[in-house]
Amino acid sequence: MRISDTLIEDRPEQTFFEDPALDRAFGVVMALATEVYVQRNRMRALERQLEVAGVIENGDLDREPSDEERLAEAEDRDAFVEGLMINLLGKQQAKGAS
Amino acid sequence: MDDRSFVAAQDFLLASKTFWTKRLYPEIRQTYEDAAEKAASKPQDPADVAALLDGDTLYRYFSWLERHLQRFKYAGRYGLVPYHDERRAELSASLRNTSAELAPDLEMPNYYQRVDIHQHPGGVWSDELDGYVYERGARSTTPLMGAAHADLHHRFTELVASRGEPENILDMGCGFGKSTHPFCRKFPAAQVEAIDLSGPCVSLGAHNAGEAPNVRFRQMNAYDTDYDDNSFDLVTSTMVIHELPPTEMKQFFAEAARVLAPGGRMAHLDFYAIDGPFARFIHYGHGRRNNEPFMEPLAEMDMQASLAELGFTNIEVIPFQEAEGLSLTSHDAWRFPWTVIYAEKAVD
Ligand SMILES: C[S@@+](CC[C@H](N)C(=O)[O-])C[C@H]1O[C@@H](n2cnc3c(N)ncnc32)[C@H](O)[C@@H]1O
Repeated sequence: MRISDTLIEDRPEQTFFEDPALDRAFGVVMALATEVYVQRNRMRALERQLEVAGVIENGDLDREPSDEERLAEAEDRDAFVEGLMINLLGKQQAKGAS
Repeated sequence: MDDRSFVAAQDFLLASKTFWTKRLYPEIRQTYEDAAEKAASKPQDPADVAALLDGDTLYRYFSWLERHLQRFKYAGRYGLVPYHDERRAELSASLRNTSAELAPDLEMPNYYQRVDIHQHPGGVWSDELDGYVYERGARSTTPLMGAAHADLHHRFTELVASRGEPENILDMGCGFGKSTHPFCRKFPAAQVEAIDLSGPCVSLGAHNAGEAPNVRFRQMNAYDTDYDDNSFDLVTSTMVIHELPPTEMKQFFAEAARVLAPGGRMAHLDFYAIDGPFARFIHYGHGRRNNEPFMEPLAEMDMQASLAELGFTNIEVIPFQEAEGLSLTSHDAWRFPWTVIYAEKAVD
């Protein structure tokens, strides 16, 4: 499923700020913060394991990726963008009071 | 989504909720108290509190986070719903041979369909995996308690047990059995009937009960059951009555009265005893933001009079401590106004 499957067309989301733009923008911020934390958690786990296994040393991960590698990441990138941008629509995902 | 990413995201959301609970809440409380001190007259009700906090920036963030952290938890990119959806085949297979008694034609009440309770998309009943989604979600409903959430049900069971040993127990609105299992274990000689509107929840309840011989999970409406009059000596519910609109709540208590034998007891764990206008304001706001619209009518209801009218006696409203060592009156952190509503059916 995609997260947009849960959007309810006729239920505008509750708003808490004077300008609803801020309500939506802060959703983007929090979605992004979640994503950043997920990545950070994974990266730290990975680096720990690679170091323990003696596979990487400091600096190995810092080089620029190839075009091929970037293309291979496209699908993952699109899902990332959806999670971020869906907040802008201002719709409830679970039916409740507006 | 992989398991590590899901857990990392959920941990992040819970940590954010904990910050909200322990850091934002006391700030809001302080803001309110400062404003109340300067106010011309002492705030009497939630509307007076609202007037004082209206426009406060921190209160806006407090409200936003209460609503949207819950939305992310269920419906975000790392939400409970997409996570379980990706594991559908395996999870649904685990429920296929459930021993729960399902009622596919049971009519779902209007209130149940109209609002998706606690922002669970589609409610806890419309998808076969909803029991699993709710079970996982319930691990982090009360940030202060964390893993001790089991404590809540255990302590409630102990309170009921301290007042007698039942033989026939009805758990109304049993969900996936978190409230039921402690009763089954505490009273191994008793027969326990666990009912809930949600098929997916009772299926999971039966699955979790394994071979427990003294419990039956049935899909049924708690305010319209098929049990005979006077069939139970204990009727309980946990976190159910606040989900019911006033009319259905009344029917719910009336049904409890009908199926209880004279002298039988009922005990409901819910949110009722709320001290002061600020706590009320926060609690009603919580209900609204979390898609639980009947928190307010429950809290405003005259419990003594309503239950007495239905033939209950020895009616008690008992403020309840959800975990060892928590203060009922401290304002250091946000907490639910846990309350046990306890009564006996009159012997006439
Ligand atoms: C917050 S859950 C609590 C579940 C369980 N008692 C526990 O403590 O984990 C509320 C439950 O009440 C159920 N419910 C709501 N209205 C009901 C009704 N009229 N009859 C039976 N169950 C109902 C919901 O399906 C849900 O499973």
